[in-house]
Amino acid sequence: MTCTLGEVKNRADFIVYWGGNPAECHPRHFTKYTLMQKSKFLPRGRKDRTMILVDIRETKSGGAADIFLQIRPGKDFEVLTILRAILKGQHVNSSIVAETGLTLEQMTDFIDRAKKARFGCMFFGMGLSMTRGKHMNSAALLTLAAELNAFTKFVAMPMRGHGNVTGADVIMRWQTGFPFGITFNRGYPRYNPGEFSTVDVLVRGDTDAALILGADPGATMPQPAIDHLARIPTIVLDPKVTHTSRLARVHITTSVAGISAPGTAYRMDEIPLPLKPALKSPYPTDEEVVRRINEAVARKPHWMPADGPMTIMQH
Amino acid sequence: MIRITGGKIFDPANGINGQVRDLCIDGGKFVSSVIGGRTIDAAGMIIFPGGVDVHTHVAGGSINFARAMTPEDHRRTTAFIRTQSRRSGLGGMAPTTFATGYLYAGMGWTTVNEAAVPVLSARHTHEEMRDIPILDKTSCVLMANNEIFLDLLEAGEFERAKDVIAWHVWAAKAYGVKAVNPGGVAAWKWGKDAKQLTDPIEGYNSITPGTIIGRLAQIIDELGLPHPMHLHCNNLGAPGNVWTTLETMKLLEGRRAHIAHLQYHAYGGDDWDTMRSASAEVAEYFNTHTNMTTDAGAVLFGDTVTITADGPWQHLLYKLTGRKWGNLDVENETGCGIVPYTYRPSNLVNSIQWAVGLELLLLINDPWRIFLSTDHPNGACFWRYPEIIQLLMSYDFRKDCMTKLSPIARERITLPDIDREYTLYEIATITSAGPARALGLTQKGSLGIGADADVVIYEEEKDIAKMFSHPRYVLKGGEVVIEDGDIRATPEGREFIVKPSFDPEIESFLKPKFEDVYTMSFENYPVEMERLEHADIRECINGQAPSPPRTAEKEPDRADEGVEF
Repeated sequence: MTCTLGEVKNRADFIVYWGGNPAECHPRHFTKYTLMQKSKFLPRGRKDRTMILVDIRETKSGGAADIFLQIRPGKDFEVLTILRAILKGQHVNSSIVAETGLTLEQMTDFIDRAKKARFGCMFFGMGLSMTRGKHMNSAALLTLAAELNAFTKFVAMPMRGHGNVTGADVIMRWQTGFPFGITFNRGYPRYNPGEFSTVDVLVRGDTDAALILGADPGATMPQPAIDHLARIPTIVLDPKVTHTSRLARVHITTSVAGISAPGTAYRMDEIPLPLKPALKSPYPTDEEVVRRINEAVARKPHWMPADGPMTIMQH
Repeated sequence: MIRITGGKIFDPANGINGQVRDLCIDGGKFVSSVIGGRTIDAAGMIIFPGGVDVHTHVAGGSINFARAMTPEDHRRTTAFIRTQSRRSGLGGMAPTTFATGYLYAGMGWTTVNEAAVPVLSARHTHEEMRDIPILDKTSCVLMANNEIFLDLLEAGEFERAKDVIAWHVWAAKAYGVKAVNPGGVAAWKWGKDAKQLTDPIEGYNSITPGTIIGRLAQIIDELGLPHPMHLHCNNLGAPGNVWTTLETMKLLEGRRAHIAHLQYHAYGGDDWDTMRSASAEVAEYFNTHTNMTTDAGAVLFGDTVTITADGPWQHLLYKLTGRKWGNLDVENETGCGIVPYTYRPSNLVNSIQWAVGLELLLLINDPWRIFLSTDHPNGACFWRYPEIIQLLMSYDFRKDCMTKLSPIARERITLPDIDREYTLYEIATITSAGPARALGLTQKGSLGIGADADVVIYEEEKDIAKMFSHPRYVLKGGEVVIEDGDIRATPEGREFIVKPSFDPEIESFLKPKFEDVYTMSFENYPVEMERLEHADIRECINGQAPSPPRTAEKEPDRADEGVEF
C-alpha cells in the first residue's frame, strides 16, 4: 500500500523514516514532499505533523525528528513483529523486547500514535531492506502498514535513489514482467534475484561482455565482480570518467540527462517526469548511442534462425 | 492490396448475416474493388470485423504494479520466445506489453480501450501503449474523484468544472472520461468510502456521489465526447448493491452512459451468506432504458489478479482473502488497489459472480448495448474470451458447467432457466460492432467500404472455444498479422484521442490550485503530443452530444446453413 508523494504532502500527519537518512541522501525530500509543506488539511505544516526516525545510530535526519528510536543493529524484523503484536493486542515477552534496544513503552507509544493519526506514512531505506533479514524486513514493515489500515489510513514507500533506477525498474516490468535480476538466455525473460542479478552474474563470471549505462558498478560492487568487468570487453556510456569507465575497454562520453539530454525520469513514487535540457552538449545522448549500435547490429546477418519456436509453456 | 474471397461475412454494422461476399482491401481500408495483389481464399470460413474491447486494463501504473506483484504467475505461464520479428514476453494474469499485443491479436481483437488512466501518470500509460504492438488504443481518464473538480462542484461552479474536465482530457491525451466509485475513492484518502448515491463524502459538505455522477454525465454530453461517461458505479462487489446500481441508472435517465463491468453491480441479498443474483432486476430495467450501454465484466473460474481504482473495495478484498494487497493512491486524483484472486466454483460468492456475468449477457436482449468483457484482468484474463463465447452459444455446455456449482448456488441464480443461445451475428455484435459504436469509433467494428481493414477469419468448427481461440487469419489495417497460428507481422498501433474545447483562461485558474496540491510543476503535467505514436485526434463539437446508442433492429435471417454448434 503506497501512494504518490503528493498524498504525503497533502495529508500525512504521522511520518516514519526507518533505516534511512533523507537529510543527507534525499536532501530536498523533507522540504518538497513531506515535513515542511503546508496543505489544505495540514495548514500549519511541520507543526501539524509528527515524525519518528528509526535507525541504529543518530544521523543528521535525527535533527528533524520529533522522536528518535534507536534500535540494535539487525533487530528491525523483531521490532516490526513486536509492533504488529502490540497492534493486535497480543502479549509480548519482555526478554524479546529487551533484545531490541527499545522499551515496551516506546513501542506502545509508536502504535498509539500510528492509530491516532489521520494519515500515516512509513518510508524505509536500505538500512532496513539491505541489512540482516533483507526483503523479510521490508515485508514485515509493509504488513504492519497494511494492518494499520484496520484503524486508519496508512501507506508505506521505499526511499529509492541513484538517478533513474525507478524508471529502469518500471520499464523492465512492462516489457518483461520483472523489475531486475532478469535473464534472457532462453529467449524469454526469467527472474531470480541472487542468481541473475548483475552482481551474481559477474561474480560467477557468466557473462562474456558488458554494457554499462548510467551506473558505476566499479565503485560499488564486490571485488570479484569488478575483476570480471576488467577481464571482459566492457563498454561504458557515461558523461563522466568513473571507476567503471577506467577499467572499461570502451568509454563513450554521453550528454547528461536532464541537463543536456531530454528524456523521462521516474520519481521514487513512479510518477514520470519529463526532462528538459537547459544546455546543448557536443556529446550524443545515451539513447542515440544505443540506437546507433542497434542499427549497426541490424546491418549484419541476423544471428538468430529465421523460424524459431513461438511460445512454450514453462512447466 | 488484398482480396478475401468466398468467406461468410458476419458484419452487424451493415446488417450482413453470413452472406458470401468478397472483401477488398487497399491502403489499410476496405474498398469496392482491387486489381492484383494477394488473394486469400476464405471459402467456407467465417469472417468477423476485428474485435474491440471496450473495457480492459493493459497499460499504466496499476497493471504494472500488478506485474510486480505476481512473479510467481510469470514463471508458470506461456512464454513468448524472441524471434527475428518478434519481442519476447510473458502471458498470464498480467501479460507484458509485447505479449499483450500478440495475445489480443492472436485471438482476433484489434482495438482496446484502456479504461483507467490517472492524469498524473498518463505519460507512463502512453509509453506503455507504444510498446503494445498491433492494437489500436483509446484510453479513459479518471476524473470523478479529482479534488479540484469536486471543489468546483461543491462551490456550484458548473461551467468552470466543465472547462476543467475538458482541459484534463486533453492534458492526458485521453479519449474518454472514466468515473470510478465517484466520491468513494476521494473518501478513501481518509480510509473511508461512499457506498450510496446520497452518502456524504468525507472532506466535503454538500456534494454526494449522486451529484458527481449527474454533473459529470452532463459535462461529457455537453462537451460532445464521442464516448459517454464510462462509469464504475459505487458499492462494487457488495451483496445487495443492485439497489445502488438501479438508483444510479435512474439518475442517468436522459443522459448517455456506459456502465462498466455490470456483473460486479448486480447482487441481491443482505450479506455474503444471503447473496444472490439480481441480474434479472438489472436486466429488466436496462432493457427498457436505451440511453445506456454496458459491458459484462464476466467472471471465469481460475486464478487472476484484480486491479481497480476502487481502493476501498480492494482493502475489503484483502481483508476477506488475506492475500497480497497493493494500494497506490494518486495525489488529488484517484487511487488504485491490487489483490491476486482465485475464483472457485466451490465458493458460493464466486459461483454467483460467474452466473451473473452470463445471465446479464443472456437477459439483456439487445446485443448492441451489452458487450463482452471480463474487466481484464479482474474477472478473468482477456485471452479467455473464447470460453465465454462458448458459454453464450451453447446451452448444453452451460448446463455441464453448472453441475460444478453447489445446490445452494444453483438456487441463488437464474442461469439454469435461461436457454437463449447466441448466434454468430450476435457474437460479432457484442465483440466488435457494438463496442466500436459505443466508443464512437466509426471506422472500427465494420467491414463496410471505408472502414479500417481489421478482419478476423475463422475456420468453422464444432468446438466453439477452439474456433475463437485460433483464427486462421487476422488482418490489422489491411496487413496480415496472424496466419496459421503464427505471428507474421507486428505493426505499430494507433492511438485515438479527443480534443474537447475549453476556455484557455482555465489554465490561470488551475495553475495556483495545482501547485497547492501537486508535487510536479504545472508545465510538466500535460502529456506532450510527441509522446504518442501515430495519434489520431478527434475534434469534439461543444454542446453537441453524439446520438444515444443504437439499438438492435431485427437480426436478418442467416444466409447459410452453418455448422450446428
